[in-house]
Amino acid sequence: MARFIQFTLMRAVMSLFTLLTVSLIVFSLMELVPGNCAERYLAFKNTQGSQITIDDIKAEERRLGLDQPFLQRWTSWVGNVFFKGEFGDSCILRLDINQLLSDKFWISLGICLAALAVAYLIAIPVGIYSATTKSAVANNSLRFVSYLGLALPNFLLALIIMLISTVLFGDSLTGLFSAEYRDAPWSLDKFLDFLSRAWLPIFILGWSATAFALQTVRALMLDEVGKLYVTAASARGISGSKLLWRYPARHAMGPVINSLGFDLNRIFNELPVVALILTLTEAGALLIESLARSNDQQLAGAIIFLLTASIVLVNFVTDILLALMDPRIRKGMIGA
Amino acid sequence: MSLLNVNNLTLQFDTDEGRITAVDDVSFELNAGEVLGLVGESGSGKSVTAKSLMKLNPDNAVYGEGSQITLTLDNENIDVLSLKSGNELQVIRGGAVSMIFQEPMASFAPAISIGDQMVEQLTLHKGISKREAAEISIEMLDRVGISDAAKRFNQYAVELSGGMRQRAMIAMALSTRPSLLIADEPTTALDVTIQAQVIDLMKDLIKEFGMGIIFITHDLGVIAQTADRVAVMYLGKLVEQGTVRDVIKNPSHPYTRGLLNALPKLDNLDTPLMPIPGDIPSPLERPEGCVFHTRCSVAEPRCQQSVPSYSSFGDNHKAACFVTAEQQGNV
Repeated sequence: MARFIQFTLMRAVMSLFTLLTVSLIVFSLMELVPGNCAERYLAFKNTQGSQITIDDIKAEERRLGLDQPFLQRWTSWVGNVFFKGEFGDSCILRLDINQLLSDKFWISLGICLAALAVAYLIAIPVGIYSATTKSAVANNSLRFVSYLGLALPNFLLALIIMLISTVLFGDSLTGLFSAEYRDAPWSLDKFLDFLSRAWLPIFILGWSATAFALQTVRALMLDEVGKLYVTAASARGISGSKLLWRYPARHAMGPVINSLGFDLNRIFNELPVVALILTLTEAGALLIESLARSNDQQLAGAIIFLLTASIVLVNFVTDILLALMDPRIRKGMIGA
Repeated sequence: MSLLNVNNLTLQFDTDEGRITAVDDVSFELNAGEVLGLVGESGSGKSVTAKSLMKLNPDNAVYGEGSQITLTLDNENIDVLSLKSGNELQVIRGGAVSMIFQEPMASFAPAISIGDQMVEQLTLHKGISKREAAEISIEMLDRVGISDAAKRFNQYAVELSGGMRQRAMIAMALSTRPSLLIADEPTTALDVTIQAQVIDLMKDLIKEFGMGIIFITHDLGVIAQTADRVAVMYLGKLVEQGTVRDVIKNPSHPYTRGLLNALPKLDNLDTPLMPIPGDIPSPLERPEGCVFHTRCSVAEPRCQQSVPSYSSFGDNHKAACFVTAEQQGNV
């Protein structure tokens, strides 16, 4: 047990170190974008009709601390992020990023995690069933549905559901909140209202993720059930669901758990398209907006950092889960 | 009454290419305390035969009409092939029958400790508490010569050496005190020195536990050391069986002779090895008549048309060959 706590702590330290490296990369990328915050803001002002001189830019750079060396700026950025949870001001909008993002990032992350959970809660039992069932009908229909999930683009699925819903119920199901809750503070009612709308993006994102995970689980299971240790276990009289769950299913779960972090990233990447169609306000769309349109490197950096931090966190959790499940990994990492 | 009676066992597999015959009309018996060696090349059907004793063959296996496998325990006859559900099968799976596999590494679940797997089996079959099961398991590990058994009990297959794993496998198989032990090439995957140790261990355990053993191997040398009787299989057919002494001294089927000639002779290293020419045919292209005629050095035209029946070559020594039967005057 002491070993395990030691292992968990070690992993946590390693995750922090990864985060630090990530922050360095993200910050460097922010710097690599041509022009800095001062120039960008003033150029933006320029379009509004102000006359800008080089001196104005220099003064603005000093005000923002952009004249300081790279390492010093990185350290203060990281320090603020790690210790205060503050990302500073947006370049263009001149607003506190924390305020700008407010709930958006957490809502996005929540939707992605929910889609991920839904996907795996369906994919694991169904994948195991489909790998072990002898029914050709069940197998073929599962395969059909899962290929449909892989092949049908998310935006099309979203449009189809919106169309059906509009025709049948007169509600296009867009947005994340009903009008009366949009600007209200969080409450139970608002949360329920949120859930009554959020199921659609969760479902759409979960749909293709499920299809993907289903294929993974099925392939891994097919691989495991054919192994000798399963035959050996049934030769010892172990049968039925006890055999299935304790032997092949358990051993197939390692790579499945491993793919969680990767899938979270994939879902987050798909979120903006779905969000665009369902007119959701979420962080993915904001990221694209800040990256592609307004060149707001501070805002983009903050979102990218939060996203990678979530993935690092998920990977930390899956590492612990893997170690709990598989002694080979546990012993490899802790030492026998 | 013998412990095990296999009568007219025929086993086919339904595959995409059609029905493949893996075992063809095989009959043999085994007494308690006796070791029967089942010999043959890969593809001869020996493992499939052994697996059918535990009904472990895959779902596409089709047993022939007259096939019968009877296991006699305390004067109670169990019709093995009629057992269906998981619970019914428990008596032949880990209860009265245990099996040791060729690959000791692959036969332990990698993520479950050796002790957990042993305890699981014991509590399932013996209805004892986990603590008692753990005690018996550690005792068994100790008995098969595993040092520091209590520590090994908590370890995983990856942490043990090859010979150690096979010992643990044997300990697990014997912990439920089965009446019949099936050992499917238990020493093939091991180093020669470890092989000898494991064979010695098995001989000791045979004496101590007194169960019947079916020892599957392609190595007649191993059979000569361990078995009382031997049955030689080729392409699903049992071509010869008898006591080890009779079969090795007076091999009466050309295939058996071929197997013996293919063994290197240590007393005269200049003797050329005499392998059996050709390869075992694919089960999809089973030869008509005697299945061995395509590789047989003494084959005659009639061997291609009709299947030879068994001729007796002594007490309980029989072989299925037209040619040797005539040579020795046993028609």
